[in-house]
Amino acid sequence: MKQTAAGAASLAAVSAFSPRAHAAGSDTVRLGLIGCGGRGTYDTTNCLKSSPGVELVAMADMFQDRLDTSRRTLMQRLPDKVKVTDGMCFVGWDAHQKLLATDVDMVILTQPPHFRPAHLKAAIEAGKHVFMEKPVAVDPVGVRSIIKSSELADQKGLTIVAGTQMRRISHLVEAARRVHDGAIGEILGGQCVRLGDAMRSWGPQKREPGWSDMEWQLRRWLFLTWLSGDFIVEMHVHNLDVMNWLIGAHPVQCMGMGGRQQRIEPEYGDSFDHFAVEYEYPNGLRIEYMGSQIDGMHYRQDQRLVGTKGLLYTDSGRVVIEGQNKGEIAWDQNDPCLKQHADQIEAIRRDQRLNEGRRVAESTLTCIMGRMSAYTGRALKWDWAMNASKLDLTPPLQGFGDLPMPPVAIPGKTQLI
Amino acid sequence: MGTGNVSRRDFVKASAASVAALGLAGRIYAAGSDTIRVGLIGCGGQGTRDLISCVKSTSGVEIVAMGDLFEDRLKESIDKLGKEVPNALKVTADRRFVGFGAYKKVLATDVHMVLLVTPPHWRAQHFQAAVEAGKHVFMEKPGGVDPKGIRSLIKTAELAQQKGLSVVAGTQRRHSKKYQEIIRRIHDGQIGEIVAAQAYWNGGDMLGYWKWWDKENLSDMEWQCRSWPWFTWTSGDHIVEQHVHNLDVINWALQGHPTQCMGMGGRAVRNLGNIYDHFAVEYEYANGVRVASYCRQINGSTDRIAERVVGTKGVADVDRGVIEGEKPFKYTGPDPDHYVQEMADLIQSIREGKPINEGKNVAESTMNAVMGRMSAYTGRALKWDWVMNASKQDLTPPKYDWIDLPVEPVAIPGKTPLV
Repeated sequence: MKQTAAGAASLAAVSAFSPRAHAAGSDTVRLGLIGCGGRGTYDTTNCLKSSPGVELVAMADMFQDRLDTSRRTLMQRLPDKVKVTDGMCFVGWDAHQKLLATDVDMVILTQPPHFRPAHLKAAIEAGKHVFMEKPVAVDPVGVRSIIKSSELADQKGLTIVAGTQMRRISHLVEAARRVHDGAIGEILGGQCVRLGDAMRSWGPQKREPGWSDMEWQLRRWLFLTWLSGDFIVEMHVHNLDVMNWLIGAHPVQCMGMGGRQQRIEPEYGDSFDHFAVEYEYPNGLRIEYMGSQIDGMHYRQDQRLVGTKGLLYTDSGRVVIEGQNKGEIAWDQNDPCLKQHADQIEAIRRDQRLNEGRRVAESTLTCIMGRMSAYTGRALKWDWAMNASKLDLTPPLQGFGDLPMPPVAIPGKTQLI
Repeated sequence: MGTGNVSRRDFVKASAASVAALGLAGRIYAAGSDTIRVGLIGCGGQGTRDLISCVKSTSGVEIVAMGDLFEDRLKESIDKLGKEVPNALKVTADRRFVGFGAYKKVLATDVHMVLLVTPPHWRAQHFQAAVEAGKHVFMEKPGGVDPKGIRSLIKTAELAQQKGLSVVAGTQRRHSKKYQEIIRRIHDGQIGEIVAAQAYWNGGDMLGYWKWWDKENLSDMEWQCRSWPWFTWTSGDHIVEQHVHNLDVINWALQGHPTQCMGMGGRAVRNLGNIYDHFAVEYEYANGVRVASYCRQINGSTDRIAERVVGTKGVADVDRGVIEGEKPFKYTGPDPDHYVQEMADLIQSIREGKPINEGKNVAESTMNAVMGRMSAYTGRALKWDWVMNASKQDLTPPKYDWIDLPVEPVAIPGKTPLV
């Protein structure tokens, strides 16, 4: 990186950060992609577009075909910014390690959520800035690892941005500001509801003859709890993250229920198709969350809070505040998925602190504890889930081979670990 | 009778006049005596318990007629009553009726009052027949299983009002001194404006309480009638059959019924009958207040049976008798057995000639639960007005006889049609 003398001096004097924030002698941010699926390709596209001087130089995935497809797509979209040589393409279980051994400045971590804690740890230890997709773990063991790696990133002066882009949607940013300023008074209740379709067109529809159990599960990862965390974690972390943000805290306990009533075919693994969780926040505040992935069900996605002075309703297009401080705020049409990358590249270049690791770890645990409560039928406390739960969904097998489909959870029988 | 608000003395006089005009069947209760003659329609566990509570609630209750679908259930009930309340049991052999028409025969006797405790499917038609026959009514909750039944229940409740008959429903929390005091304070504004509420019945799988009969040689109809809690057409599912208690408290506190709802649910463990084992429903009330409802019947899961109301100035944990906030309060007074108190209140209203009528309350609470079930079964958001006025759902079987009756499939949201 070409720094001004003053900039270089201040960096050295103030923070003693890692000298290799990115490639010395150039303004270019050299990017590596770990996890070349649809989301990884999308995030990389956005990252490259978000700021000048960003180049994709390395790619890694579990599967050659996924990497090739992503590489081809990115080359077509952004030929000037995609400079991935054959020697900088890595596949297999250790692909991320090989990529992290190159001279990239920053990595995008978009393999299935199961891998996130290990990948974040390796990336931070290797001195890379990280953009990682949500959710960032599937179990409490993973959440604790994310928090530890985030603390290490702070020590090393590395930035971490997490793909909870709703935090950068203009109308929600303004809503959070007003709620935190007391626009609806003390918060007394609320709802977070996301009802959507069953995602049946997602992923490979049938198992190829040569695929091992492990490969089949990896390619269908969305529907396997050990890989995705189930949809309350994988998708609805966005919405529950917004609740934590608006409320300004994480829950202290929860009680959940759920099951699978329509999406029951074996190719949907052990995922549920509906969850309902009551989250209790500090001061006795109870929030009702309902989520589903069921075809033909009513469609809805909104968050609502009611307070002593009014209420706030928000969906993907607007915020409405009623009561003493009425107002309506519309989305300004800016793309939060671009902004999150622009913010990070700017922070890297200006040597600013930007670390969303702990926050997204907490939102991820919010969802994980809701799932654990629904799977087991047991009410749970945050402190227990964060500090004492030993749940670790890592399968015995780390490689391609036999791996039976895990059984669907049975509340009252599935053990709380 | 036929009018409310008459004094005790007028009542006795009117009764005497009725005797002259109509003979025995026309009497509300025995002239010149405090005796209340009671008939039981539906002699299962709950019916028998209710009758014992009724006898214990006051003096002068006589059990004179009983009806059930099944002779063995009738006999078990009589045996138990013989042990628990022998002095009140005066059911002669010719006043013991069985079969689908048993209720008519009970109503044709000179009972003053009947307890309607058959499975919920029959409540609306039995209630109508009882009121038309001029009987005071205690009916167990819920008040029905489908919108058609609930509409009938409301109509009959109005008829009871016109005829000056008392109607008490087995939503016994309404007769709790503790609940009454907390609700009074909520209505008095002591927690400010209500902005949210929660209702819970999360408990076990009920197998120890709800008998499951093996099919074996039974006809479909007999098997389903005997195992009624486990089938939607007979019980309404557990959100209706059981959770109605908590939803009733919310309606009571909020002084109204929901305007719309969105529900979800399923069966994660249960494999008997065709009911679900969990529901979660978001209800919206008239002024935009949203209420969360949770009910679950799964062993080994966390239990919670409660009602909580949140206001701008405080929170009421109604079931605990506690209010926290600007005007904290804890109920420490007496709270007599709700099941006995509801009977005492009913009989007092009859004796004083001051009819009370809970028909509409229980009809609305039942509809709360029915619309929540319909929403969860279909995956569709529902409006109260549509369910109350336009839904054509009617779970009545083709006929009441020992017929073949295939079990309806378990509902699948997004696929089960909204009717």
